[in-house]
This record gives sequence, structure tokens and C-alpha cells, in this order.
Amino acid sequence: MNTTIQIQGVSKSFETDEGPLVAFGPADLDIKQGEFVSLLGPSGCGKSTLLMMLAGLEEPSSGKIFLNQTPVQSPRNDIGVMFQESTLVPWRTVLGNIELQLELRGKRPENFREQIDSLLNSVSMKGMEKRMPHELSGGMQQRAALCQALIHQPQTLLLDEPLGKLDAMTRENIRGDLQRLWLDKKPTVVMVTHSIEEAVQMSTRVYLISPRPGKIDKVVDIEMDYPRNLAVKQNPRFIQYLADIHSVFHGYGVL
Amino acid sequence: MKGKVLKRLVRWISESWMMFAFFACFFLLWEWSIDWFEVPQYILNKPSEIITNSAADLPRLMQYTYITGLETVLGFVVAICLAIPIGVAITFSNILRRTLYPFLVSVEMVPKIAFAPLFISWLGFGLLPKVIIVFLVCFFPIVLNAILAFGSLSQELDRFSQITGASQIKIFLKIRIPSALPQCFVGIKYAAINATVGAAIAEFIGSDQGLGFYIQIVTGNMRPDLAFAGIFLLTLLGLGLFGIVTFVERLMIPWHISQRRG
Repeated sequence: MNTTIQIQGVSKSFETDEGPLVAFGPADLDIKQGEFVSLLGPSGCGKSTLLMMLAGLEEPSSGKIFLNQTPVQSPRNDIGVMFQESTLVPWRTVLGNIELQLELRGKRPENFREQIDSLLNSVSMKGMEKRMPHELSGGMQQRAALCQALIHQPQTLLLDEPLGKLDAMTRENIRGDLQRLWLDKKPTVVMVTHSIEEAVQMSTRVYLISPRPGKIDKVVDIEMDYPRNLAVKQNPRFIQYLADIHSVFHGYGVL
Repeated sequence: MKGKVLKRLVRWISESWMMFAFFACFFLLWEWSIDWFEVPQYILNKPSEIITNSAADLPRLMQYTYITGLETVLGFVVAICLAIPIGVAITFSNILRRTLYPFLVSVEMVPKIAFAPLFISWLGFGLLPKVIIVFLVCFFPIVLNAILAFGSLSQELDRFSQITGASQIKIFLKIRIPSALPQCFVGIKYAAINATVGAAIAEFIGSDQGLGFYIQIVTGNMRPDLAFAGIFLLTLLGLGLFGIVTFVERLMIPWHISQRRG
């Protein structure tokens, strides 16, 4: 499989009164096409920063990033991003918000009727097209945001703690939706999360990031079949992965 | 449909009858106290007298209302038309943000009304100096709120727009303008409330027509009844302007939290 994302010696530091403070890195990693990768770490470890650097929204202090064999130097439009905070605009309906992505990309929403329908269907949002964001629950809003992030069919999808603010049951539900969508189209996914369980359930590979300065110091390949639904959590292997990762974070002193 | 309207009316009455009762009591008390305390007519009149006496002077009052209204609306509209684009320009231009913006903030500290005599002396008794004074009163709240509005797009929406690769103009039209509208309306509403103040004071200082002029003249003639009629009409003008702005706001940003009912 082709390598979609290459990260070479990337670090991010901030200027402070006592000189530059390294917040993240340096880190190297290669992500292959069609992989579902999680960046797992405690808050403040720089995992979101790495994701934003991948998107070209923040500049690395050192190192290079390649996406689809081209260097990332400015915001990339050949990706889909789901941000931590909602990007649903309050003045448009669910449908209008999904269309916004297309309109901003200069595409005609009329040509995407079927895709919009099937996306909404796959996250059980059929019939919600005309609702305004404020009329939806938090979970529904994130589902709509997921459709918004996916409608232009990006080959690479970056998710910045997309389920961070939801209750446990809703998270579980949307994880299922997300996994189904990924299995269906097999885009490359990079997801930032601080939930060990979420990372193991969803990913082909989990990168463990240490607390400040964030460094990737362990990579765990999750070798279990998809789809991984609720039942997978009873699987001894799943439990073993959780325990292993737990002990790593325990070692950092964050657990 | 009819039942719905009726239901709403009943609810409205049941929610606001106390307010109307209070108003009624206020005017009744006023009416009676004039007799009880034997207040002379040249000091204060009964509400009923104010109504009957001002009805006699209705043509003049109407004409002056029109004049003051014209000054107010012109100054207000020109202020919106200039303040919003200038606010946008300041938000997006580094040079303007370092030059014009601090200048505007310092001028904001100056009581604009203090300029009124100068403008009258420069431009005479006509319409123009009044429009300019209304404009000055309205311009600053609108421009400062517009700068705030256009400068505070959320980081997520900003990044979301960048990722789409859309042109700045497209992002401006589809994202920045709608997200700035609620804060812009804060400034516009504030300006609407103060617009008639500007017009009235400008007329006090130098004018031969308009409600401000009228109030000053009739007060000089010991006719508080007519002065109250002028004040009432000025209030109506202000309320009307504010009402129109609120109506337009409801049309333009029905989605905003400030516009949601119950």
C-alpha cells in the first residue's frame, strides 16, 4: 500500500520568556493509505497540534510533512477535517451545512443529492435535513458535522477528538457509524483521542504520545478483525491491548 | 389558525395586563395630582389636556415630526452605510487597524454632541448639520461593533473555511458576513436608540423647524402641554426606528439565539 502521510522530524515549539519551549516532537511517522490511525495521549501533549500541522493549518517549527507525496506548506484542501468544536454554522440547516462544504469548494450541491442522502442515512440522520443545528442534540450535531466533513469524499480524513464532548452512550453509537463509513470507503483516517478504548476499538494502529513535550514513543498495531462492535470489548485480546496501553500511560504518571 | 391567534392574544394579555395596569395608574395619578396639588398650567398639565391641546396644533406637530424623522433616518442610514464597510476595512487591514482604529477609539471618547454648535455655525440652520450630528452619534457604536463582529470569527470556522480552499471573497460572503451579523445588530440597535437624541439636541442648538425646535419654543411660551406632545412624538420616532431595526434583525438572523422564542 502507498504511504499517504509522511512525517519527518516534525516538532513544534513556542516562544516563552525562558526561550523556546518544545510542545511536541520531534516525531517521525508514516501512515499508509487506508489505515485508521489514532494519536492517543493525555491532554496538552500536542496531539491536536500535530493534526493541525498535518492539515497545513499550523506550521511545524522543524521537520517536514508530506501528504500524498507533496509537502504540506499551506492549508490542504484534499482532506476532510472534523474539528474539536462544531463547524456547523447556526444559520443553515443540517442539509445547508453539508452543502456549505460543497459550495465553498466550488461544487454544485445538486450533483451530490445521492451522496448526501446515503451519508445522512448511514448516520441515522434521515429526515433531519431541515433541522437547524440548535434543534439537535450534541450527538446529532456531531453526526451532521461528520457528514459535513465527508461529503466531498476526501481520501484523507483528520478527526480532532470528534466525540470528545459526548456522553458515553452516544460516543459508542457514533463510533459504530464512523467505523462503518471507514470500512465502506477506506479513506486514510488520523484520529486524535484521549480515550484508550476508543483508539483500540477503531484503529489499525495506535500511536502513544507521552506528556509534554509530546513524543511518539510507542506504536501499537491492533490486530483484530473488523467490524469491531460492542462484543469486541469482551475479547481477551482487546482487554490485553487496553491493559498494555494503560500500563504505558501509568508509567508516564498520567494514569 | 384563528384559534391559534386567539390563544396567543389571550396569553399576551395574561402576561402583560399588569404592565398596562401600571401605565394606566401612572397616568391617572398624574391626571388627579394636577388638581389635588393645584399645579399651575404653565408648569405642568393633565395628560387629558396635553392630548386635546396638542390636537389643535396637530398640523405643525406632524410637519415637524416629518422633519426630525427625516434628519434621524438620513443620519442613521448614512452611518450604517459608512460604518459597516469601514469596520470591515479596519478588521482586514493591518495599516488601518494601527492608524484609523485607535483614532476612532479616541474620537469615541469625545462627546459628539459637543460638536453640534460648531456644525451649525459651519453649515447653517438647514438639514445637513442635523444629519451630520445624528450620523456622528450613530456612526461610532456601529463601527466599533462591526470591528468586533468581523474580527471574532471562531477559530474552527476560520480553519474549516481555509481547508476548503475557497477564495477570501467566498469565505467572506458565506461565512464571515452571516457570523458577524448578530454583533453588527447590537451596534445598529444602540445607534437607533440614540439617533433621535442627536436630532433633538441639534435642533435645540440651531434650528427653525423640527421637534427639538418646537419643544424649545413652546417651553419658552410656557406651554408644557405642547412640549410633552413633542417629547411624545420624539419617543415614537425613536421607538419606530428601533422597531424597524428589530424587525429587519428578525428577518436577517432568525437563527440567532437572541431571536428564538420561548
